Amino acid sequence: MEPADDDLIRQCKAGDTEAFGRLVRRYAGRATQVALGLVGDHADAMDVSQEAFVRAWRHIQKFRGESNFFTWYTSILRNVALTWLRRRLAHADVDLMDASAVPDGGIDPAVLAERSEQAERLWEAVLRLPTRHREMIVLSHFEQLSYREIAQVLEIPVGTVMSRLHAARKALRGRFTGDPS
Amino acid sequence: MTCEDYRPWISAYVDDELAGEDRKRLEAHLGECASCRRELEELIQFKESLAMVQFNEPTDAQLDRYWSGVYNRLERGVGWILFSLGAILLLCWGAFLVLEDLLTDGDVPLAMKAGIVLLVVGVVVLLVSIARERLSVRKQDKYSQEVDR
Repeated sequence: MEPADDDLIRQCKAGDTEAFGRLVRRYAGRATQVALGLVGDHADAMDVSQEAFVRAWRHIQKFRGESNFFTWYTSILRNVALTWLRRRLAHADVDLMDASAVPDGGIDPAVLAERSEQAERLWEAVLRLPTRHREMIVLSHFEQLSYREIAQVLEIPVGTVMSRLHAARKALRGRFTGDPS
Repeated sequence: MTCEDYRPWISAYVDDELAGEDRKRLEAHLGECASCRRELEELIQFKESLAMVQFNEPTDAQLDRYWSGVYNRLERGVGWILFSLGAILLLCWGAFLVLEDLLTDGDVPLAMKAGIVLLVVGVVVLLVSIARERLSVRKQDKYSQEVDR
């Protein structure tokens, strides 16, 4: 039987890198998905999500279990990804939270399990959203986090999650259907 | 409340995140507002469309490579810390010996000794200033903070 997160975290706090390896393998897929949604490119997503795991290991003593491990890790990942985006946009006159993540080479549909035209168009529309909308769609739709968990990751009230998610869906539907209203 | 005010609630309703009085109020509004009912149906359809975007699950080999990448970074991090501490220690000790030699050497002109002292003081001031600035930016930068939770 696979050990629970809490047991692995306890072992991590005692310096057990093997236990951390099991946690990393457990969440690597989801971590890469979130990173992909934020930075837009598969290679960069691997880089950013691995760096976030390194930081999680360094700060594992700070994890008090008030949220689950993945929610805590995702808030670290978000910080790493936003710092990465800010560096990439360092010379551009744009607001970080308004920036789109689509890399110059376009989307990487190889990461999608279903290669239907509609799925690719939707994913492309997600990547062209501003960061503040994109992260809501990624966390809510692709990671299926609850409003409470999203609030913990973004450090905002649950009511703000509700209004931001509504705005994000409206923006995404507008981009997907071509109807800005 | 206008229909526009209800729209974020509809979004939360679709996610099953609306409870209590708010849920009852929205359901009462949906019973009498065709426009908001249409919005609800469209949102449900859109959510189903988004469910089509599925990601490839990593294989065991990919997971091994991934963990290996993380582990290498952890190991390199420790290596860099030890290397940096050693380098700083050696540089400080070397600089101390060189300075001690120069400043106690009677053949070195006084002007040169004064220049060396000013140079060292200048480097120390610059390093302290850069360190303080970095610390201040780190404190104010919300994206550089690790989560204490």
